[in-house]
Amino acid sequence: MVSNAVRAQVAAKWQESFTRLNRSEPGISGLMAFSDAWTLATEFLKPRDLNDPKPRRQYDNRRVRMAFDTINKCRRLPVMMEVFLEDLHNSQYLIAREVESHMNLYSETSDPVIVRALIFRLVEWYNAWSPPAEQIIFYRLGQTIISAYMLSFQTHLFSVLPASFARGVKSLVAATLLGTVSPPSDQRDSALWHAFDMLRLVERYETLIASVGYEYIESHVHETCAGAWSEPMLPKLRAWMLEKIVPWMIWPFARGATNAEEAKTMMQGVGSRFEFHMHKTLCDLRTKEMFDIIVDFPDSVPALNDLKECLQRVDQRAELVQSLRRANRKRLLHPGADTKDILLQYVSTIKCLRIVDPPGVLLFKVADPIRRYLRYRPDTIRCIVASLVGDGESGDSLIDDSEPIHPLQQPEVENYADPEWIPEPVDAGPDFRANKTSDIISTLVSIYDSKDLFIKELQVLLAQRLLALKDGNLDRERRNVEILKIRFGESALQVCEVMLRDMTDSRRIDQHVQSQKPNVMHPTIISRHFWPALEVSDMVMPGQFQDLQEQYAKEFSSFKPDKVLRWHPHLGRIHLELELDDRTVEADVPPLEAAFIELFSEKNTWTVDELITRVGKVTRSAALKALGTWVDMRLLKEESENVFRLLSVAEDVTEDATPKLGMASLREDLPPVISVQQQQAEQMRVYWKFIEGMLTNLGSLGLDRIQAMLKLAPGYDRTIEQLANFMEAAKREGLVTVKDGLWKLGK
Amino acid sequence: MSSSPGISAFPKNDSNLFEWAGTIEGAPGTIYASLAFRISISFPSNYPYSAPTIKFETPCYHPNVDINGGAICLDILQDKWSAVYSVQTVLLSLQSLLGEPNNASPLNPDAANLWSNPEAFKVQLMKHYRPLDGSA
Repeated sequence: MVSNAVRAQVAAKWQESFTRLNRSEPGISGLMAFSDAWTLATEFLKPRDLNDPKPRRQYDNRRVRMAFDTINKCRRLPVMMEVFLEDLHNSQYLIAREVESHMNLYSETSDPVIVRALIFRLVEWYNAWSPPAEQIIFYRLGQTIISAYMLSFQTHLFSVLPASFARGVKSLVAATLLGTVSPPSDQRDSALWHAFDMLRLVERYETLIASVGYEYIESHVHETCAGAWSEPMLPKLRAWMLEKIVPWMIWPFARGATNAEEAKTMMQGVGSRFEFHMHKTLCDLRTKEMFDIIVDFPDSVPALNDLKECLQRVDQRAELVQSLRRANRKRLLHPGADTKDILLQYVSTIKCLRIVDPPGVLLFKVADPIRRYLRYRPDTIRCIVASLVGDGESGDSLIDDSEPIHPLQQPEVENYADPEWIPEPVDAGPDFRANKTSDIISTLVSIYDSKDLFIKELQVLLAQRLLALKDGNLDRERRNVEILKIRFGESALQVCEVMLRDMTDSRRIDQHVQSQKPNVMHPTIISRHFWPALEVSDMVMPGQFQDLQEQYAKEFSSFKPDKVLRWHPHLGRIHLELELDDRTVEADVPPLEAAFIELFSEKNTWTVDELITRVGKVTRSAALKALGTWVDMRLLKEESENVFRLLSVAEDVTEDATPKLGMASLREDLPPVISVQQQQAEQMRVYWKFIEGMLTNLGSLGLDRIQAMLKLAPGYDRTIEQLANFMEAAKREGLVTVKDGLWKLGK
Repeated sequence: MSSSPGISAFPKNDSNLFEWAGTIEGAPGTIYASLAFRISISFPSNYPYSAPTIKFETPCYHPNVDINGGAICLDILQDKWSAVYSVQTVLLSLQSLLGEPNNASPLNPDAANLWSNPEAFKVQLMKHYRPLDGSA
């Protein structure tokens, strides 16, 4: 039952609505007019199917306009908008259908052209359905209607776009980038970007578009810069960015900019991101290539300068260190690499990283493993020393001859009073020592804690070279010693001085002895105390050589009564003239060879064992080698195994005469100075007595205990690692056994 | 630390050089041949002006050695000590004492009495002897 009040209420409302629709028209003509206008307007706005072959109904713009006016006057526009959006919603399936068919095609062909077509088609739909702005923009609600349409259209569109659309857009954008040789006024691209803009695709796919840019930059950098180290690439890349990327960027990132200034501000963010990406890509690339860049030094200096600049913008220092350390570990620090090569690479690394990072933090981090590795290489010192004295055969590339020679520099304590002082870079570790010295040799020598090792090795090397001298020309060695004096200091090289003086003294003494009593022998007289230990041999020279030796010794002792000669008959070389039945042979041979051939003047056939007993203690292999020399010279022939016969008459070369002792040519030319390692082994033998004593009396001991005890012994300076090696060696010889880390004497 | 066969001695640890351990092997041809004895040497603070104290750690059945405490009756370790003796000479003296005991002043009268009977002496000796086990 409805109350009167309600009735009155409804009637009033009804009346009000009626008046609004009918306005002040007579009768219901106003209502009729409104009804017509509504029908026309909704019909006009109704989204239609573009694929409908029927031509679109033509509307009279004026009439439409009037209809909208009528509706507006009746304040029914909001309702109409709702109806319109409702209609829109109901027609969305048309677009969904369109998108689906295009995307199906695209997923079959992957041709970006289809995506392009789809986008243009979508623009058509959009335009076709759009409420005519010129008709409604005057109304208060006009703007709202248009944006509501836009929103609704997009919302629906994005909801129906499949995931593959993003991929399509990406390849489409990439295609535009490939075509951007022309300026952005290019019609095709411009239309496309317009379409993008209209559908608000740019906002939606902004990151995607940017990623296309990133990828493009990346591929360009890789293409142009990989392996191109000999010219600076950064300026070129920058020019390329300006020429190629910036114009392209204008469309997606600076649309709507009215002037260049505005465009610039709009593109600033994305532009600097692109630029950063270019630097980062180049930096990554160079980081990856770093090892080879170092190998190529100094041809690769431009690449290093590029890298330096990149590193200032991109914080990739840690990556560089890591990657280089990894490459070094993999390619350099393994047993297959020559020490010489490692040193060379190390020196190049020093030079390269000094370019990239002058304070040397990177260098310190990268060099550390190399230095540690080099320290364990037995021949490192030898290599460094050889390059110090400029060993001719090794090519000597470690040091530049033009570099001024500096005294070895000690790491300096930081001088904080220096007004130029700058703190260490942030990524410097606590153990970083700023090594301001640029002197390569100082750096190399500092691999080891003390330079004594170098001095010792220098002495050995010098001794070897002096003993190997044939022409007696000392100028070169003297020059080397002088150079080294500058580096290591006068006192360190005193021993070397003595060695050089011994050489000249021997010559003088020899001249004197010869003047007293001519002798074919010209010995080198060395002061035992100052020379590295020489190889000892108990070889006794037979026959005439022995006489020569004695005669010489007699003359010498009358010249220098307070000195005694101790002969090393196995060292040196002997020039022989051998007269045989049919020929004379001249030869320049080591003493053992001479001794053997002399013995053949006693009888024609000898066995190896007979020969060995005549010359004292020589190893069998040495004897065979000496005999091999003569076999090669066709003076001896191996009759049967280990039996040799003198060929007093030359024999024709027969097949079996081809020397099977081919190793004779592999003469060891190394002079017989005991190397530093051998000397150390020699010293270790002394300490063995101590070890034996303690193990006898104290039972089994751990390595630490042994080391601590040995420290009691005078002059003991081995590290525990060296001791461990020694104990391992003793174990192999069966002298000791080890169990649970405790060593005891073997039974 | 010496090159004399059969005797050796070494500091027990690197922090106290006054306590040494030593080993003496019986000289070949004596009744102690091929037996090894561990001894302890303890140096007084005024060494070498007084003799080191030497004791057998391995029980040694010997006329001049206390079978229980290991104390040794040797003139150069007592009144005849001289600063010129070294560890090596002392150990050599001990080694020779093994083969030639001084039966006139025995610390172990049983052993002194038995000395003239090598077979019986050897039996007693081996009864007390403990071979070195290699650990201190």
